[in-house]
Amino acid sequence: MTTADPITTEVVRNFVISCAEDMNASLWRSAHSAIIYEGKDSAVALMDENGNMLGQSTGVPLFIGAIDVCVRHVKAYYEDDIHEGDVFIMNDSYMQGTHLHDVTAIGPIFHEGDLVGFGAARAHWNDIGAMDPGSTMSSTNIYQEGLRLGPTRIVSRGKPVREWYDHLKLNTRLEGATIGDLGAQIAAIRTGERRLGQLLSKIGADTYRAACQNIFEQARQLDREAIAAIQDGTWSREGYLDNDGVGTDPVKVALTLTVKGEELIVDLTGTSGPVAGSVNCGASQTESLLRLAYKTMISPERAITGGSFETMSVILPDECMFNAGEPAACEWYFTGLGLLADLFISCLSEAMPERSTAAHYGDSMVVGFFSVDPKRGQWISIEPTAGGWGGRADSDGESALINLVNGGFRNIPAEVMETKFPVRLEEFAMRPDSAGPGRNRGGLGVIRRYRMLEDCYGAIWFERSRTPAWGLNGGGEGKGPEVSITFPDGEAETPLKMRARALPAGTVVETKTGGGGGNGNPMERAFDKVARDVRRGLVSREAAKADYGVVIADDGTVDMAASVAR
Amino acid sequence: MTKKYRVSADIGGTFTDIVYQDVSTGRCGATKVLSTPDNPALAVLKGIDEVLGEDGELAFFVHGTTVGLNALLTRRGSKVALVTNENFRDIYTIQGNDRGEIFSIQWNKPEPLTALEHTYTVGGRLAADGAELSPVRLSDLDALVTACARENYEAIAVSLLFSFNNPAHEQAVGAYLKERLPDVQIVLSHQVSPEWREFEHTSTTVTDAYLAPVVRKYIATLQREMGDRLPEDGTLHVMESNGGVMTAATASETPLQTLLSGPVGGAIGGKALSAATGRGNLICVDMGGTSFDASLVIDGLPSTSNEAKLEGLPIQMSVVDIHVIGAGGGSIAWTEAGALRVGPQSAGSKPGPVCYGLGGTEPVVSDANLVLGRLDGANFSGGEMTLDRDAAADALALLGQGFGMNAEDMAQGVIDIVNAKMADAIRTITIQRGIDPRDFSLVAFGGAGPAQAAALAEELEIGEVIIPVHPGAFSAWGMLQTDVRHDFKETLYSFWDQIEVATIEEAFERLAEKGRSFLSDEGIGGDRIGFERAIDFRYYGQEYVLTIPLPDGPIDMDAVRADFDAAYERQYGHSSPENRVEMANIRLAALGRLDRPDNAPPERAEARPARERPVWFAGTPKPTAIIDRNSIAEGDSVHGPAIIEEVTSTTLLPPGWTARLIDGGHMTLTKEAMA
Repeated sequence: MTTADPITTEVVRNFVISCAEDMNASLWRSAHSAIIYEGKDSAVALMDENGNMLGQSTGVPLFIGAIDVCVRHVKAYYEDDIHEGDVFIMNDSYMQGTHLHDVTAIGPIFHEGDLVGFGAARAHWNDIGAMDPGSTMSSTNIYQEGLRLGPTRIVSRGKPVREWYDHLKLNTRLEGATIGDLGAQIAAIRTGERRLGQLLSKIGADTYRAACQNIFEQARQLDREAIAAIQDGTWSREGYLDNDGVGTDPVKVALTLTVKGEELIVDLTGTSGPVAGSVNCGASQTESLLRLAYKTMISPERAITGGSFETMSVILPDECMFNAGEPAACEWYFTGLGLLADLFISCLSEAMPERSTAAHYGDSMVVGFFSVDPKRGQWISIEPTAGGWGGRADSDGESALINLVNGGFRNIPAEVMETKFPVRLEEFAMRPDSAGPGRNRGGLGVIRRYRMLEDCYGAIWFERSRTPAWGLNGGGEGKGPEVSITFPDGEAETPLKMRARALPAGTVVETKTGGGGGNGNPMERAFDKVARDVRRGLVSREAAKADYGVVIADDGTVDMAASVAR
Repeated sequence: MTKKYRVSADIGGTFTDIVYQDVSTGRCGATKVLSTPDNPALAVLKGIDEVLGEDGELAFFVHGTTVGLNALLTRRGSKVALVTNENFRDIYTIQGNDRGEIFSIQWNKPEPLTALEHTYTVGGRLAADGAELSPVRLSDLDALVTACARENYEAIAVSLLFSFNNPAHEQAVGAYLKERLPDVQIVLSHQVSPEWREFEHTSTTVTDAYLAPVVRKYIATLQREMGDRLPEDGTLHVMESNGGVMTAATASETPLQTLLSGPVGGAIGGKALSAATGRGNLICVDMGGTSFDASLVIDGLPSTSNEAKLEGLPIQMSVVDIHVIGAGGGSIAWTEAGALRVGPQSAGSKPGPVCYGLGGTEPVVSDANLVLGRLDGANFSGGEMTLDRDAAADALALLGQGFGMNAEDMAQGVIDIVNAKMADAIRTITIQRGIDPRDFSLVAFGGAGPAQAAALAEELEIGEVIIPVHPGAFSAWGMLQTDVRHDFKETLYSFWDQIEVATIEEAFERLAEKGRSFLSDEGIGGDRIGFERAIDFRYYGQEYVLTIPLPDGPIDMDAVRADFDAAYERQYGHSSPENRVEMANIRLAALGRLDRPDNAPPERAEARPARERPVWFAGTPKPTAIIDRNSIAEGDSVHGPAIIEEVTSTTLLPPGWTARLIDGGHMTLTKEAMA
């Protein structure tokens, strides 16, 4: 049997990671929609011929566990009928776990006639033909959420399948962008094909396969050692979503985590059953989230490969919002996942006090504006909003950072937004006093204020007002989210969730995201840190006194006598 | 009769390297003098006087400086105030709000170069097309004017929204501040980086402001002090980050362009070396006193990019791609939490390594090399300096007490750590990009590079090391191999199928006219001027562009369009010839060819009587031959262990390695088992 020496293995290990990064760069640079090239709502992966993950690059860390499953669906459906030059797409929520917007393109990679692997590129399509333009907010079953595709051959032996392209065009409100983005996904796969081809012509497919086996084995070994090093025990936590998107009742999310030797067991028993609104999530994406949460605590610096995560098992009740089946709506599948991750991290924070991290602001906090008037041109601007992260064992939480299930999302710059869309960004700033107080405080949320320059539509999805980012070890909770809409006639509303509705020119939408939870007793926070926060306008003098017991004089210095001693 | 020379100086934190080329013979020589950071000209003049004597005349003088880069890496730039739009105070601190490490919940954003308490806002706003929505409210700036005396700001960066479309507000702010704060450097974003994306152009502007006072003061001092030693026309040239050269006057206007001024010389030298030795793929590593710079030459060309990131912060500027880490001969060894660390802090030339006897007390990499016998304490820098081995050994022994290690073991540990850091830096630009370093030759230069090259090559399994001529001054040598270059761009936005050829030709002619005028101001005449034209294209609906070079002569619209489709296909694996294409910017590089003679190999010298001294390899001292590089004939071999000495550097040839002199006087090192 062919073997691979340690140097070749290391070259291959770094190659698959960098190859994936090249594929993603190719996707981002040739995509047509800002949500991909600015928002980075995408992921690519290079896998072996059985769909085992080798290298991946993702703007959305939540996609770490749910791309390889697509290869398995393609292989199960097409069996041997897979040929050089083919590309398949799919988006079914129950198969790949996410919402229908996420379309995964998968291409087999051949070397000298042999199947040696798969490349895949997933990207968010702005419009997939749902009941509302862009993202629907009020769906109650999957048939309202758009075109649903199982594994579908879209390119056959290098030739686009015309009827499928036409079918896609007929089922989206944004024909040009959709086909353009599909082209970018295909480009990413071709990039992977080309790069892998270069490597294989040098080292040969057998050595490559042997190196891949070494990589898988190394990952398994490292995971087992990491879990064994954590103290054994069982911890439980629960929290509530504000609602399911259509009703008003809170939705319960519960998690029990057990560490036993080299095993980590996650049990979601106690979590709400399937709900009427669209916060249900397919099992493979739930597992993906748990992998992500695991990764944040256990060796986050190491690359993920096919051998990772074998140490974790998940108990998922049949009747559970995180185990969705027909006809559950899944458009906002990730909302519950942000809370689930915070619960997981809080449980492990007790087992691993040195990595203890309080909860973060929690959800994507999506704001969308669009117009569908064919005479004036169609456009969609949609973006998640950054917020505050939890205080850590040894430092403050970061401010104005995108939420956990995202990652590579960048804010749309005012200069790009205003050039491309009739929307003006009037303010983009840190939100003072939003951070949870603590010896190490949470990070701050942000304020973004938009003014509509033309009549258009707007939609909003904000969460975590019922269970804002909680603190740990005596730290306080961060402020929850707030939204206000002021219409040109002076009427004002404060909806955290808003289904697509008309916004006349002159409407002002102001969003405020939550802060992160604090870690440790705020009365132990050093005077100079509190004074600096006040000087920078991040904490008000009133909050300094109320939350930290620190009195700041008019000249900005600490009035030691009047402050609570530490 | 006076002789004429082309001279270059690479002014580093520790050493100033001088290369001089006899205009009549093409032969180059080099020297190395200790830098004089308080007045860099002193070192340059000392070096020039030493090698050219009183009579040698300068026909051309170019220099590269790391003064800007060092200020940034050590966070010792000027104190900067930032002016942003009202309601956008936090854009520079918020940054892109993406997570640099997406699986980490402990990640922190890069530390900005100026903090929130030094950010001031001004009312007034422009729309996307540059139209004024509300006038600029200059009275808001009075808070900054008042604070300036208290805070001692040395520079003010002004970065307002949409200034790339209409600079009026920035200009008004600039004029208002200039009048009230005449001694403070004011930097306006539309001048530094007329490109959209507010965080990126703000970051670029702040970086320019952070460096401007440092760089301008430095250039003015150098120009004044060099005085009549400069060439007849008084011109001082500076290396640019794009690999070309510019005059000092231009550099003072665009200090940011000097950021990679020092390291870029090595990449350009690498390009010349690739042509001279017929080796297409080179990893060029420059290890000096303070930093370790790695760059690639692939198929004979240095790899370049349109945006640089330094310390995690973006800079919108066209640059030769160089990966920099804080590791050099001057890197200080220190302990933290029971672990030994090396760098990134550097002792520089003041106080310098312990062995220099200039007041340094913390041992550095050079001290370790001296203790291991790899440097000649009695004949350092061509006999210019005597090094104190005992002092270096004492300092290392003191550091070693906590680990129960003696001076020699400690020295080896310091070297091992710094080698591992350098190997990682090379992995970042090769293996991590899927490039196998074993397909490359390793070009090692800088004062400290040739002593580490063989160990580094072994760690990366690289088969061949090249030590070029004048390795300790190779960046300076590279500076003599380049031409004057000025880059211009203009936003010319249109569908390709709607624009007239004449419109494009006229726009290019406008840029060419600017280029001609820059070059003629710099004394470069018509027949030595050339242009490279390019256009940024994208398919309709896309954001990112591909830059497509145009051939000389009239523009053939269809051919250019086909070139774009082909380039797109090459880059992304697919193209859309049926889609409409937009052009976004036109770019023009104005090149002024400089006269230069062909390079001739250095002169040979007679071999001196055999010498040897003990050098430590793998923990044991071995008797090792000391050889003068200039006594080796072309085609001759030297077998390790050996120390090969020359004026600017010392090459360590470990047991099992062979050195050979090849064409042009360059030297290769290969390991016998691998040869």
